[in-house]
Amino acid sequence: MLSFYRPGDGWLHRMPSGPKAFLLFAFVLGVSLLPSAWWAAAATATATALVYLLAGVGGWRELSHQILIVRWPIAITVASQLLFLGPEQAVANTVRVVAAIVLAALLVLTTRVSALLDMIERGLRPMERLGLDSQRAALLLTVTLTTIPVLARLAGDVRDAQRARGGRSSLRSFTVPFLVVALKHADELGDALTARGIR
Amino acid sequence: MIAPPPPALRSPIRRLGVTDVSRVAVFAALVAVLGLPGGFTIVSSVPITAQTLGVMLAGAILGPWLGALSVTVLLALVAVGLPLLAGGRGGVGVFVGPSAGFLLGWIVGAIVIGLIVHAGARKPRLWRTFVGVLTGGILTIYAVGIPVQSAVTRLPLAETALTSLVFVPGDLMKAVIATGIVMTLVRAYPRGFRRVWPAKSAKGAEPDRAAVE
Repeated sequence: MLSFYRPGDGWLHRMPSGPKAFLLFAFVLGVSLLPSAWWAAAATATATALVYLLAGVGGWRELSHQILIVRWPIAITVASQLLFLGPEQAVANTVRVVAAIVLAALLVLTTRVSALLDMIERGLRPMERLGLDSQRAALLLTVTLTTIPVLARLAGDVRDAQRARGGRSSLRSFTVPFLVVALKHADELGDALTARGIR
Repeated sequence: MIAPPPPALRSPIRRLGVTDVSRVAVFAALVAVLGLPGGFTIVSSVPITAQTLGVMLAGAILGPWLGALSVTVLLALVAVGLPLLAGGRGGVGVFVGPSAGFLLGWIVGAIVIGLIVHAGARKPRLWRTFVGVLTGGILTIYAVGIPVQSAVTRLPLAETALTSLVFVPGDLMKAVIATGIVMTLVRAYPRGFRRVWPAKSAKGAEPDRAAVE
């Protein structure tokens, strides 16, 4: 399945996922604590651009792509901030929010999904003392990952069937049959897991 | 069917059986599919999507804990970099952005919906389902989301709440649709709930609950 991961061999790519997550989290936290002022906005924007240029993830192109993904939240933030707070705070707050989002995005841009899933499983291991089964959690994540394309296909089938019958398509008339098909798939999936010796 | 372990051996967090795993996975996938491009957008090109409808359905059909778990699983996959939120958003970035609180609110919301819709392990009724979906799917999500958004964007709470009003009509629509879907499912496919409801006449009788929940 598509993910945000961009293959590469920059220093961020080579860094182990745990320390990388910690470093980026610290960076995001640092940015989030800056005051809402012009100088802070300028410093944040410069630092973020520098990190993207030096991280070996594709520089400006990747940065503008990441910003484009969050254009709607940005539009809403800018509009409401301009309306209530005035230009300096509006610009500084928006820059800070966008910088935090795109800096955090570096984690998934430079780390494979499988490595991050492993990180989650490792992170959950101490919770086993509380009765949490980290292997079961990993199984759940993997099964979900493989179920998404299946359900996307089932959704397409339901929509095609409705179109073939010339029925009008509304959210409700789509969701009811889709839900029944999905629940039946869940039963089959349970049987398939049991057949593979998973209890 | 696997017999449940004696209470003494049961861990505080109940071990998930395969049925639970597959149902939780399917609902996490369902919420993701409801946000896919080419999927359903109530108003095209505006970021109002059917994903909160999926959250409402997860809480109402799977019940509070499995519903919340399926939302958590979806969010975990989003965090590790899959673009599964509406508009192809994903990655840890969304958890430091303005909508972070709304996403966490999905988890709490699913719990509240499940608790209300299945209160007393009774069969979902129209009014109880609607109240549950409104309280959990709108009020709870906003109650978690708005303070976080206010903290992230530094826009005062009242103004943030005011701007969130834009989303209320769409969410009300989804609540009505979710209620309709749940009631249809109760009539047309009750085994989808995997619960045994007490018969109408047996008032006050100990409900005979399904082994899975």
